[in-house]
Amino acid sequence: MSDTATRALVAPNHPVRLSKRPLTPAARINRVLIYVLVVIMGLFCLIPFAWLVFASVDENASSTLAWPEFTLQHYVELFTEAQTLQLLGNSLIIAVGATALTILLGTLGGYALSRFRFPFRRSFMFFILLIRVVPPTATIVPLYLIVVNLGLNDSLFGLVLVEAAALLPLTLWQMKIAVDSIPIELEEAAWVDGGTRFRAFRIIVFPLVGPTLGAAAMFAFMGAWGDFLTPLVLLQSPELYPLSIGLFYAFSEFNQVNWGVLTATAMIYMVPPTVLYLLVRKYLFKASLSGAVKG
Amino acid sequence: MTNLILTKTELSAAPAPAPRRRMSRRVRNERLALVSMLSPSVLLIGMFVLAPVVYAFYLSFTNTTLLGFDARNPKFVGLDNFTYLLTNDEFLSSLGRTGIFILLSAIIGQTVLGMLAALWLHKTWLRGKGLFGAAVLLPMVVPEVVASLAWASMLYSGPRGTVNQIIGVFGIGAVDWLQTMALFSIILVNIWRGIAFAMIMFQAAIEDVPQELIEAAHIDGASAWQVFRHVTLPLVRQPIFLFLLLTTITTAGIFGLVYFLTQGGPGDDTQLVALYIYDRAFQFSQIGLGSAASVILLILVLIFGLTYVRFAKIEV
Repeated sequence: MSDTATRALVAPNHPVRLSKRPLTPAARINRVLIYVLVVIMGLFCLIPFAWLVFASVDENASSTLAWPEFTLQHYVELFTEAQTLQLLGNSLIIAVGATALTILLGTLGGYALSRFRFPFRRSFMFFILLIRVVPPTATIVPLYLIVVNLGLNDSLFGLVLVEAAALLPLTLWQMKIAVDSIPIELEEAAWVDGGTRFRAFRIIVFPLVGPTLGAAAMFAFMGAWGDFLTPLVLLQSPELYPLSIGLFYAFSEFNQVNWGVLTATAMIYMVPPTVLYLLVRKYLFKASLSGAVKG
Repeated sequence: MTNLILTKTELSAAPAPAPRRRMSRRVRNERLALVSMLSPSVLLIGMFVLAPVVYAFYLSFTNTTLLGFDARNPKFVGLDNFTYLLTNDEFLSSLGRTGIFILLSAIIGQTVLGMLAALWLHKTWLRGKGLFGAAVLLPMVVPEVVASLAWASMLYSGPRGTVNQIIGVFGIGAVDWLQTMALFSIILVNIWRGIAFAMIMFQAAIEDVPQELIEAAHIDGASAWQVFRHVTLPLVRQPIFLFLLLTTITTAGIFGLVYFLTQGGPGDDTQLVALYIYDRAFQFSQIGLGSAASVILLILVLIFGLTYVRFAKIEV
């Protein structure tokens, strides 16, 4: 590698040139190369989605990326077909249920972890951190047996409990950190005024952790919405399948794949996480990592 | 639980410990609040997160099956499952394949290439960074089933697959990706899933490196490589190891993507440990054997994780 290239690579932030001095030819080539790289990377990330978008509005949708002959037929089919609506409904039940449960328990638990001192508190925090090191695949077999023994397999309720349990460690950490940042004196003031701990929680803590609560809820929703392995193992009845399983079987089990409806369904499936992602983009890194490192 | 401390103010007042027999109503209420707030979480995590881990260890020493006689009457078989697995070619090659998969997709593909891209694109004059960031992170955010479906079309065999269309422009013949290049294909898809996240995270870390340090090193005559090696790298090591930790865990257990695209095939070409576990337990109903494979995976991931944490000097 030439020295200029290496320099550009490893010490990129050279003093900002504020003057309008013309760039040297080498620097100009360097800039062009970088823009080319940006475009290639952008295309690499986006092209797979182009097919989904095009095929979902293409009259003769196939597995090939092609300019569509525009139609909304596939979306109409999707929303008039009972089976897809059922898949969509199940996904919503699972994701909303798991999110609600996670947020409820995570807020209460996070508050307790932040405000009370009790034996094994730190060990518990460390333990739920460590739990993240376990790949879900490594525990899916015993998890299945436990759920079967509890009589909760093949039920949406059981799946909601399992998803919530998997999401809880991260939520507990997020909420604990959020409550930590609220001065206890504010709450104490409310107690002195004759309020109960619960009342102080409701009027002081709850409004202040609002933003964290929103972000945590979105992450929980995205996690439960996109899960594939857990519903695949825990559900047996097709009428309980969420979209992820439905899409998988629609893709793999029939000889005649209806590409149009399949891609339209995938588009609908993609909407909630994409919208949520755009909303929580700012918190994305912090939240993905705060489960791994304190602070 | 006598040292249940209520508030900062009470702590500073340091009251004499209450007599053990009689708690004040206040303390009792506090304790009730603590238990009622935390126990649902503890219960749920205990039942569906901790118990499966413990149970996996127990099952790995038995010959439990999903169906048939042994399902009701599992026997303790000692280390039989482990000796079987560690001398079994199918398992060992799935383990090796997972190692290659992690090395090529998570470590080299996502982390190293992500770092290179971050350094390369870390330019003050670069425009449209925000839009670029939003677009390139999409692969990580969409459900893995959607990502798999999109790539199933990309890697479609024959000249009509998108990738084949693109390389066709350059005069390269069509490749039957998911048949002849199956492992390579899923490695590519996994890189696609995570590289942008790595890149943007590393870029944020590089931006935090004090500019003066880099300039000072340059003035002292350090080469660009030396500046990176001795100034930038030590300062961004924590995000790097953190990302390595997360991506290794995720990649070690990867299931949905591979199951969707190849179901482990053709032959055993893409059978990773996760698919081996799933197959053993749910296709061949050998719960004990599947659990033993899980335990081995778990131990390996733990060793990796602890090594990373050590190198990153992360304080937990």
